[in-house]
Amino acid sequence: MLKIIRFGYLIALFSIAALLWFLVVNTWPFWAEFGLSSLWLDEWFPYESLYGLLPALVGSAWVMMIAMFFALPCGLAAAIVGSELLSKPWQSTLRLSVEILAGIPSVVYGLIGLWILLPWLQNTFDLITGHSLLAAGLLLAMMILPTIMVMSLDALRFVPQEQREAAASLGLDWNTRLITVLLPQAWPGIRSGVLLALGRALGETMAVMLVVGSLDKMPSPIYNILEPAQTLTSRIGREMGEAAFGSMHFSALMANGLILAIISMLLSFMVLRQRKAAQR
Amino acid sequence: MNNLQKKTSKPMLAETQPQIATLALTNLSLTLTDKTILQHVSLSLAASGITCLIGPSGAGKSSLLRCLNLLQKAWSGQIEIQQQDIRQWPAGEDALRRFIVLIAQKPAVFPVSIAENVIFGLSRKQRKTNQDVRIKTCLQQAALWDEVKYRLDEPAKNLSVGQQQRLCLARALALQPKILLLDEPTASLDPRSKQLIEASLKTLALTMPVLCVTHDLEQAQRLSEKIIFMCDGKVIETADSVTFFQQPLKLESREFLRWSSCDCD
Repeated sequence: MLKIIRFGYLIALFSIAALLWFLVVNTWPFWAEFGLSSLWLDEWFPYESLYGLLPALVGSAWVMMIAMFFALPCGLAAAIVGSELLSKPWQSTLRLSVEILAGIPSVVYGLIGLWILLPWLQNTFDLITGHSLLAAGLLLAMMILPTIMVMSLDALRFVPQEQREAAASLGLDWNTRLITVLLPQAWPGIRSGVLLALGRALGETMAVMLVVGSLDKMPSPIYNILEPAQTLTSRIGREMGEAAFGSMHFSALMANGLILAIISMLLSFMVLRQRKAAQR
Repeated sequence: MNNLQKKTSKPMLAETQPQIATLALTNLSLTLTDKTILQHVSLSLAASGITCLIGPSGAGKSSLLRCLNLLQKAWSGQIEIQQQDIRQWPAGEDALRRFIVLIAQKPAVFPVSIAENVIFGLSRKQRKTNQDVRIKTCLQQAALWDEVKYRLDEPAKNLSVGQQQRLCLARALALQPKILLLDEPTASLDPRSKQLIEASLKTLALTMPVLCVTHDLEQAQRLSEKIIFMCDGKVIETADSVTFFQQPLKLESREFLRWSSCDCD
């Protein structure tokens, strides 16, 4: 039995190493030719050998920030209501609903975005199509909301009942109890939820690709989130089919993938570190 | 946050009330999910001194304490402090809980420093005035000052259980309560911590009524002037300590004392 477990462990390690090796080897021609300067070039036009990664990096950053801006307060508020105000049967119902929401395939979210979100944005902001960073951010916010909510709910429920009662016994009102006792103690769990959600937001491809507009240019001005734009994932998803295996275009797309993998690994590492700190 | 500031900066009722409080319960009953916890409990507390609430497990002692500071609200009957119904407490239930403070059996210190724990229940305004003196006084009253005076900035979680319990007492005293409720304050503590807490309580009881739930009958004898014996949610007997332990009137009291391993003489 132990041998099988060890074998499984080795296979997992080997898979991770193989993935990294595959990414590094395939992106090597791109880095050798263009170097790190491509990170801050803003033109991406593979047919003229222009491989600026900046628009997609900025697009990904905007989409993540917009998603977090909407999902964090909503998810946290829902978790507080679920944990502190609802009775146990309603808590279970809420949790079940959110878990169902988390299980919906991302392409379904993308279709909802196409049919509902884009027309709404188009009419509300008088846009040509509604494809925009805001659309992608809002859609991602819906998708990461369950992660933030469930993790925050668990973190709040993990705060011992004695702490709640001790704070109430001191005559602290509900707001003060929430701000000074509950949220600080639940914060490590909430933060892990936020990081996991960021990881999902960063890696989401299909839904984002359907609504972001996939336009390889920097938003102008840079804070204009109503313009169509590009993210790292949507670029890979849209162009990989067109790139010949082994070409510079293929290598450049793999470089997008390597950046995604590095950021995701950093986020996972941060989650892991915080869990260890919380355990200590 | 504005709302929060408004609430916390509101003057505490405790500060506007006379120094000594009296507590009276009339016909207090509590039923939770079809289970009767308290039945027509009537009792009163003197203006000072320690009253011990004793009885077998499940008698409703802890529930009674929780009713008194409105942590449990589903009761019927009447609870009055200085002829004021606690359900119509002028400054609200949070102010009532600062007036009549409950210290739980299991010490629950907050994950902040020892000093911050002491002033945790105070408003920002109160924290600004004589903070250091207040911390020192409360820790001295709880017999903890000598043990922690050089490490006030250390996390309170580093303290032993006995020290944490005394820190909870100091934290409660920082609110300058007028009535103190204690739910088995020395359960699972070492003899030294028990002794220190008992000494503090005796001093505190000179100025305020203290209602203490305990399973330790020797402690009840040592501490209290008055004993309230409860069983099955009812008050069976109320008597002064000496009378109760030497000549209990009710059969249930005698049975309880007989089954307890306490040397009551």
